[in-house]
Amino acid sequence: MFDPTVLAGALNLVLWLPLAAMLALLVIDRDDAIRHFSLGVMLAQLLLVAVLYLSFDARDPGLQFETRVPWIPAWGVHYHIALDGYNVLLVALTAFLGPLVVAGAFSAVTKDVRLFYAMVLLIQFAMIGTFVAQDLFLFYIFWEAMLIPMFLIIGIWGGERRIYATLKFVLYTAAGSILMLAAMIYLVWSLYSTTGITSFAFADLYRSQLTLEVQTILLAAFGLSFAIKVPMVPFHTWLPDAHVEAPTAGSVILAGVLLKMGTYGFLKIGFPLFPDATALLAPAIMVLAVLAIIYGACLALVQTDIKKIVAYSSISHLGYVMLGLISLDLLGIQGAILQMVSHGLVAGGLFLMIGMIYERCHTRELAAYGGLAKILPVYSVFFAILTLASIGLPTTSGFTGEFLVLLGAFAAAWPAYQQGEVLPLAMAVGAVSGVVLGAMYMLWFAQRFLFGAVRVPQAHGHEPGGSHASVIADLNGRERAILVALAAAIFWLGLFPAEPLRKTELAAQQYQQLVSTPRAAPAQAPAQAMAAGGEEAR
Amino acid sequence: MNWSTVATAMLPEHMLLAGVVVLMLQAIFGRARAVPMLALAFVLAAALAALWLYAEGVRAAPFAGQFSIDPQAAVAKALILALAAPVMLMAREQFADSTPFGVLMLSSLYGVCLMLSADSFLTLFMGLELMSLPLYALVLLAYRRADGAEAALKYLIMGGAASTTLLMGMSLLFGATGSLALSAFPAALGQFGDTGSATGMLATGGITLFIAALFLKAAVVPFHGWAPDAYEGASVPVTAYMSTLVKAGVLLAAVRLFADSAVPALLVGLIVALPLASIVWGNLAAIRQASFRRMIAYSSIAHAGYLFLAFLGAPAGRFQAVAFYAVTYALANLLAFAALPRLAAEAASDRIDSLRGLYARSPFGALMLGLAMLSLAGIPPLPGFVAKFLVFSNVMAAGHVLVATLGLVASYLGIYFYLRVIQYAFMGASETVAPAVRGPAIAAAVLCLLPVALLMLFPAALLGRLA
Repeated sequence: MFDPTVLAGALNLVLWLPLAAMLALLVIDRDDAIRHFSLGVMLAQLLLVAVLYLSFDARDPGLQFETRVPWIPAWGVHYHIALDGYNVLLVALTAFLGPLVVAGAFSAVTKDVRLFYAMVLLIQFAMIGTFVAQDLFLFYIFWEAMLIPMFLIIGIWGGERRIYATLKFVLYTAAGSILMLAAMIYLVWSLYSTTGITSFAFADLYRSQLTLEVQTILLAAFGLSFAIKVPMVPFHTWLPDAHVEAPTAGSVILAGVLLKMGTYGFLKIGFPLFPDATALLAPAIMVLAVLAIIYGACLALVQTDIKKIVAYSSISHLGYVMLGLISLDLLGIQGAILQMVSHGLVAGGLFLMIGMIYERCHTRELAAYGGLAKILPVYSVFFAILTLASIGLPTTSGFTGEFLVLLGAFAAAWPAYQQGEVLPLAMAVGAVSGVVLGAMYMLWFAQRFLFGAVRVPQAHGHEPGGSHASVIADLNGRERAILVALAAAIFWLGLFPAEPLRKTELAAQQYQQLVSTPRAAPAQAPAQAMAAGGEEAR
Repeated sequence: MNWSTVATAMLPEHMLLAGVVVLMLQAIFGRARAVPMLALAFVLAAALAALWLYAEGVRAAPFAGQFSIDPQAAVAKALILALAAPVMLMAREQFADSTPFGVLMLSSLYGVCLMLSADSFLTLFMGLELMSLPLYALVLLAYRRADGAEAALKYLIMGGAASTTLLMGMSLLFGATGSLALSAFPAALGQFGDTGSATGMLATGGITLFIAALFLKAAVVPFHGWAPDAYEGASVPVTAYMSTLVKAGVLLAAVRLFADSAVPALLVGLIVALPLASIVWGNLAAIRQASFRRMIAYSSIAHAGYLFLAFLGAPAGRFQAVAFYAVTYALANLLAFAALPRLAAEAASDRIDSLRGLYARSPFGALMLGLAMLSLAGIPPLPGFVAKFLVFSNVMAAGHVLVATLGLVASYLGIYFYLRVIQYAFMGASETVAPAVRGPAIAAAVLCLLPVALLMLFPAALLGRLA
């Protein structure tokens, strides 16, 4: 449709536009102008991403819209960005949530508006950068660059315990990052000492040959960093605090995109770079994934804070993603990618809706609410849609992702079971129980929240006993527009998953091949290693 | 000795000397005015001269065996002199009529330049003393606080101890090698730990004392005790100078001292243990500080640790790693000091507490301070990260995988207190009504901010020139 160089330029524009806009905020004065400008930038970015998404060729297994320029030549570091099957859906998700986050904060954020939107734009830049980076050094820089805007977003515009929550978030994440940095230096150095290539390009790193021992240590270091971000049980304790204290926009970014960085890290780096170690640790990872599914769901069941319910449900839902990735079944992998997108939409949407009610009633206590369906019909309809999508009702995006993951888990577990391995099957069965638990906590939540006797916390300045309708108003046009867009995306992914799945298919195959081909140093002839990692060989 | 070589090869030093003379004449024949700006002009001229020497690739030895210039020395001088510019700008108001400030500062810089060109122990010692002696006075200068004198005295005594240690080391090395040339040091490194022979013993003792003296000057644990007091006692521009350029000068002189030789296996323990202890202790102690300058002092103790760890890397990459690290570290520190709000009472403005709500009072200052802290913490994409990466990848490539990992883990300890400054500046409610950052400070901040931004986008530009 367009010339490849134009599209590569468009990808660069997608990446740098938010940063340029952030600098432009310095000269914009009025708060309203800042809000609308930020929204315009996000919409422009979404438009560009839409063009790229439509131009993305599902039959091309390589990198598309690629830009590759030497950045630090002596170290083999390149400014190397491109779309591929791994990241195309996630970039689309990030760009899609961008305008919603900005618009969602229009009325919620009134303090330091300029700094707020600057940080939202900065984190958008860093998130897109993390996804499109095809060079480990660049990936790391973007990965870390996400930290500071989020630190400020939670710390400045958050709730009462925001300082505690934001420091916890940063210190957890940074702990993982430091180990990842050490592992990254070691990885690149050992690539150099075995092959003589100094490179951070993923395509080159996929060809590294390391002993099983080294692979295991490196996977542990990278994995810890990703596991904290996902978050996998037992590294999840920062998440509820961060989510509860974060402002709505922060929660949406966190749940919508930031958590996917962890699973994307496993998908793009952790598992394919260290296949032998992955095979070794697969049972443990599987157990942790299912543990997250069940434990997260159980915790969600007993929460009294509505934000915490969704926060713990995130832990549960991302457990499915991990299960799909480690199943190494094609459907499971594709399901995992789709589940990432779906969770981004659903959890992001739920946090937006919680933000909308919080703006009206100023409490997150579930017990304070009841029967909202009677007084807020429009709100309740959208909330029900998101609830059902979260449960994974067919025709919604949640169904496609979860179903494919479970299908993949069983497909991988059955042959193993026939060979006498019980664990994968047991885990797959355990994961199914998570679906039931998911239905339990979400439906119970919706029932207490939307139905039953009408109970609304009195907003400040209103007399108790006044008519409910005068206390809280239903959604306004801006809020409706946000939710219509979200619902449309959720149904689109639920009804027509074939199209996005096709875009990820070749990447999923690549991943499957990379992870299931042993590459431990002494056992492997170089020719085979080339075949395993050589799809993108230059 | 060729006079034309003396004239050209020592041009940066001549510029500084000319500055000293002009400043003195100004005080004698008129009224001392705008001293820091005058000094700034000479510092910039000296930096340009050094840059010219670097660009021309001049290699000359105006005083054979004592003083020589080569591109590496020239680029080191150019960087250090250029980094002195923000210090002068910061001092513009406080030291406007203080001839001693300008003269002492230029003399101290002269000492740094001398060290970086030293070819013999004598020149090295002379440079080190010329750098340090004015500092003892600078710490006291224009300072009305009671503990300023204590700080200066402490610094003087510790500095004296360092000088004697260094002299003792030099004598032992002279005994071992029979030479006072700088090359005697790498030659003696080969004999380090050889306790079987008399020369081996002398070399071992000499090198140990030498390194102890360097650790003292750079404030590495356990020789760090003077730094927090001296930093807290001095005025802001002097602290900024001490914590950055002096440290960079000592480290770059140490690189020149080690020349092309790797750290011998027996010495590795010393070069690993103390810098690692420095990183850990510096980062931990900084958490507890209530004074901004004391915090920066402990942070600089930690950074001295990183810088010395760089010596474990391959000799070929050592200068690049140390120089790049020193530049990014100095830029961040200078940026922080320039962005610091000035209150009427110096003691009050030094409390980290007084930074609460800084963003509301002075958004620009808060942003600069935040960037500086992030760079010091080594968080990407700020240049401090690239520097840390360079140091640790060199260390790892030299086979010290565990050391590099421990160093990185220890650097994690430092994240908290840097973030705490950001937390105060952005998330706290303002308690004091402080004036916004003033003009010269903004100029100084911009002067640091620009290179920080450039290094963030194009680190290769500087890295390539240092290789």
